[in-house]
Amino acid sequence: MKKAIFEEFDGYQAIVDEIAFSRKHGTDYTVFRDAVNQQISLLHPNRITLRLSEIIDETPAVRTLRFVSPDGYLPPFLAGQYIALFLDVGGVRTSRPYSISSPPNQTGYYDITVRRVEGGRVSNYLLDEVGRGDIMETSGPSGHFYFNPVFHDRTLVCVAGGSGITPFMSMIRETVECGLSRTFYLLYGNQTLDEAIFHDELTRISERFENIRYVPVIEGPPHGYHGAIGLITGGLIREIVGDPGRKTYYLCGPRGMYDFCVPELQRLGIPPRKIRKEAYGPPANIWEDPGWPEEVRPDDEFRVSVAGADPIRARAGAPLLTALEGAGLRVPSLCRSGECSMCRVKIVSGKVFQPAGVPVRKSDRQFGYVHACVSYPLEDLEILL
Amino acid sequence: MEAYDAVVIGAGNGGLTAAAGLAQKGLDVLLLERHNIPGGCATSFCRGRFEFEVALHQLSGMGTPEKPGPLRMSLANLGVLDELTFVEMSDLFSVAMPDGFRLTLKADRNQVIAELEERFPHQKEAVRRFFDLVYAYANQMLAAFFFKDPAPSREKYPVLYSHAFKPAHEVLDAIFTDPLLKGILSVYWGYLGLPPNRLSFAYLAMLFFVYIEFKPFHIKGGSQALSNAVVNRFISHGGTARFNCDARQIIVENGAVQGVVTDDGERIETKYVVSNASQVTTYARLIAPEEVPRSVFTEMGGRSLSPSAFTLFIGFDCEAEDLGITESTSFLIDAFEFDDRIFNRMRSLDITDEAMVLSCYDVTDPDFSPAGTCQANIVTLKYGEPWMHIPPARYHSVKFRCAESMLRRVETIFPGVRDHIEELEVATPLTHMRYLGHPNGAIYGFEQYTKDSMFFQPGRTAPIEGLYFASGWIGDCGFQPTLSAGMAAAKSIIRKLENA
Repeated sequence: MKKAIFEEFDGYQAIVDEIAFSRKHGTDYTVFRDAVNQQISLLHPNRITLRLSEIIDETPAVRTLRFVSPDGYLPPFLAGQYIALFLDVGGVRTSRPYSISSPPNQTGYYDITVRRVEGGRVSNYLLDEVGRGDIMETSGPSGHFYFNPVFHDRTLVCVAGGSGITPFMSMIRETVECGLSRTFYLLYGNQTLDEAIFHDELTRISERFENIRYVPVIEGPPHGYHGAIGLITGGLIREIVGDPGRKTYYLCGPRGMYDFCVPELQRLGIPPRKIRKEAYGPPANIWEDPGWPEEVRPDDEFRVSVAGADPIRARAGAPLLTALEGAGLRVPSLCRSGECSMCRVKIVSGKVFQPAGVPVRKSDRQFGYVHACVSYPLEDLEILL
Repeated sequence: MEAYDAVVIGAGNGGLTAAAGLAQKGLDVLLLERHNIPGGCATSFCRGRFEFEVALHQLSGMGTPEKPGPLRMSLANLGVLDELTFVEMSDLFSVAMPDGFRLTLKADRNQVIAELEERFPHQKEAVRRFFDLVYAYANQMLAAFFFKDPAPSREKYPVLYSHAFKPAHEVLDAIFTDPLLKGILSVYWGYLGLPPNRLSFAYLAMLFFVYIEFKPFHIKGGSQALSNAVVNRFISHGGTARFNCDARQIIVENGAVQGVVTDDGERIETKYVVSNASQVTTYARLIAPEEVPRSVFTEMGGRSLSPSAFTLFIGFDCEAEDLGITESTSFLIDAFEFDDRIFNRMRSLDITDEAMVLSCYDVTDPDFSPAGTCQANIVTLKYGEPWMHIPPARYHSVKFRCAESMLRRVETIFPGVRDHIEELEVATPLTHMRYLGHPNGAIYGFEQYTKDSMFFQPGRTAPIEGLYFASGWIGDCGFQPTLSAGMAAAKSIIRKLENA
């Protein structure tokens, strides 16, 4: 056989010897069969199986569900992160993200705290139909709403509305239980004081730890109520926290709260980089968003054909993801707020409405990909999953 | 049972171009991707108002429309050129040291030489000699292999015969006396994963040659735009892409591929598989052990896993120049070293004074980040091994600790960056492992010692009939090589079918 030309290159024989040597003393790659998956599943499993071990009543409309791992292992998380529950509710496979309300130093369980939503099929299911011992599938801990020690200030101003208290509960519990050097100002808005979840615990903590300041803010207080009332305004924030500088602001609650509080914070001179907002589900009443076409009514129905299959029906006023799930299609989902891009689908033809500010990659926009959890059909659609 | 002419496992660069190349020739192709998005490394992610590029620093081999490089021609053949906007970077790279030393090399041979001559007047002649050697090597290499000279000889290609297997440091030591200059000319080791004392001259020379001749490029919309464009083309050629769907097994019977089993347990019939997964995963996980010839593991055993990376993705609420960042590619270096100190540092967990590269795409592409903002991607190479031993409960704190040390390093060169951080995301070797599925999070596949070059390794073919590889694991790593690897794999299959 003709010699290949490289066999005549200077140093060829030395390399041949080196190869022989390295093979003789080489790595056994057969042991890598499951190594990657095993390692990653300890930190970022796609799915975990959990057992509901306890149900704790918090307020008349709120319960905490405590989940343990049947095999005793739970992946670590950062206070503020969520898990998504994968559920079958009335024959429809769907998911819901819930912030973990227990602290990360509590490695024996994850708590999620669920508030009943009027007409909310999933919250009603979780509050009424599940019981101790039930086995559930969830995602691994996810999300970016957490204290980042590299660039966040050690004084945190947390603004919560309603069930938006849950990530802060995890953060505050961790701080007091682990003795972290962080200072919290928590402004917690509710209609009435009875609705304030964890009110007693937060009151106790703030009495005992001087680095935790808890201020419930009641929108419709009874006569003679002495605490903070009304909305969480810039004035109130300033009154509570003093100098608004050198603090990082965290917001978690319904979109109305962000629409009100973010400009309030900006008026205090707080730059956008200091304001962190947790994703909080798809916007309610999407048809009231600026840019929603007048001629489309929320109950209008359109046909959506998926990869050429028989079309399904989808309501304009509901996220495309909901329609796909309702038709029994399996679309991965996680944050259901437009951020994580798990439910990315391609719109081949037809138009959808997407609220402003959804973080869709530039090239995804170019090639017609949308995040189905915050996309609303405005026409008949043809899509690819 | 579903049947396809070919199944491509993985929608990274190599998988994408293989799939598109096969579909373009009329084959019925199934592309499986375990993630919800194509690209592998060639992807991006959003945080707040920023979209971060994950992997692409400087795209090589593009050339200009007037003087197209090999990659531009292949992308034109795939039909994706019109859907993409390429932005030429005028700089090769710049070097920044905490003592205030700054040097920028333009992507032009004469300008590189002029700049180095001016900064290192005592090495004037050496600078010329080095670039003459680089060009002689590259031209001889291309003549012999790319243009396939039927009668190559030592007389025709003296530099190729004498330098192809030489270590870079030997060449640099023979030409230069100034260690700073030697260091500057070897900073590209970071793109290859082997420190200067272990790097082969051939790789270093080819990198200089392609970046100078065909210029470094960036893509509007980042590397995700390229991945999306290729998938789009693939689909328009009738290809079937299935996302969120991993391959569980490649069925091999009597030494030949018979099909693929997906995650959901679905069996798909096919005679051809292109694996964009690593060779380790493909052989150790996807194929039944009794169907893998022993020689495969013996050969692979002689190779070592490349480093992974530790990366900061930072979005700033100000313009790049407000931070003092004026170059798109800056190597941040404390001191130049030519021994195993660099290698040893890559094997340790913590970040001390590692060399790192800071890419700021906004410098050449002002639309890259929203108006009034900019972003930086700062990466240093780290072997994944130490990260495998961190107890999961400690992982986040180690990650933040390393991020903090890295940011401090950046501040020594660009003071004040910390006060403008709006978003910051950290990728560790475990992050790369999670998203790429590579053992130890190796970002460059196997290491690229001379013994691992294409002359000595099996490349895209396998001792299993119908199995091909297209990835950074089979030869050179990087965007251009992996994109080309996919096209080459497609060609191999098409040729095979034509001859059948």
